[in-house]
Amino acid sequence: MRINMRSMLAPCIAALMGLATPTVADTPVTYTDSGKALFQFEVPDFWTLRVGGPREIEDSAVGDTRGVARVMGMRPVTDDNVWIGFVSPTGVSSIEGGIRYLQDIDKFLVKDPQVSGSSKATIGGLPAQVIRGTGRRDGRGINFTATVIDLPGNRVAVAVAILRDGADPAYVNDLNDIFGSFRSAR
Amino acid sequence: MAHKLMKRTLLALGLCAAGFSITGCDGVSVGVGYGYDPFYDSMLWNDYYHDVNVNVDVNRPVRPDRPINPDRPRPPDGKPPVRPQPPIAKPPARPRPPVARPPVARPPIHRPGPRR
Repeated sequence: MRINMRSMLAPCIAALMGLATPTVADTPVTYTDSGKALFQFEVPDFWTLRVGGPREIEDSAVGDTRGVARVMGMRPVTDDNVWIGFVSPTGVSSIEGGIRYLQDIDKFLVKDPQVSGSSKATIGGLPAQVIRGTGRRDGRGINFTATVIDLPGNRVAVAVAILRDGADPAYVNDLNDIFGSFRSAR
Repeated sequence: MAHKLMKRTLLALGLCAAGFSITGCDGVSVGVGYGYDPFYDSMLWNDYYHDVNVNVDVNRPVRPDRPINPDRPRPPDGKPPVRPQPPIAKPPARPRPPVARPPVARPPIHRPGPRR
């Protein structure tokens, strides 16, 4: 029996490529607001994603409502010492506005925040401001990295990454991979 | 006697406390869910849209109006739209087994006998 070598070539190359390429198994996710896609990122393998949605929360003490945009939260399946959340608040159109928004949520996220550094960065080809610091939460020390990314179309993406003391430092790579996969959807 | 009762009461109370302390580890929610998710829950809270001016910040920009939902689209009058077929079909009704269970051949052993 003769085997046509040319016809065997393509499956062989395909098999080799399948072995050679690194495991690209991350899951792309698109953040939308009112049906409009705003940005995308990739969820690392073995991370769990909580999508959420727009809603209004009432402060039972004061009795007023406040709007909340969709919060997407992620953490490793087996480690709750690491967390990252994305939100694109409505009406916040600039990095300065995003920082002001962060100042209005930080007291709920972190107790006694100490900012250790603030720097300009480029994330997904977009201008961004990265604020790093430490604080406390539930009696444990945490490291936080708050990021405001300027999206086209008068929107910003606010990301807060948190590493509790005792978290596996290897997860920093996963967190940076999430930022590495960040792209504007427009 | 009183000593024994006290011991038993102590044991019962101790077991109760142990039960509570074990269930306390489960968090607030029960069943499938995220349970206590401090950072997610906190990120929902913001004072940016806080409508009460407790701490007036002069530099704060005017809060944007909440988007008003446009009127919901109405389906066309007359024929209702065709319901899309979901990808997962309903399982077929359970077929009746062709073989019926045979009647009990013998009466149960412990049936109470008639009153004499």
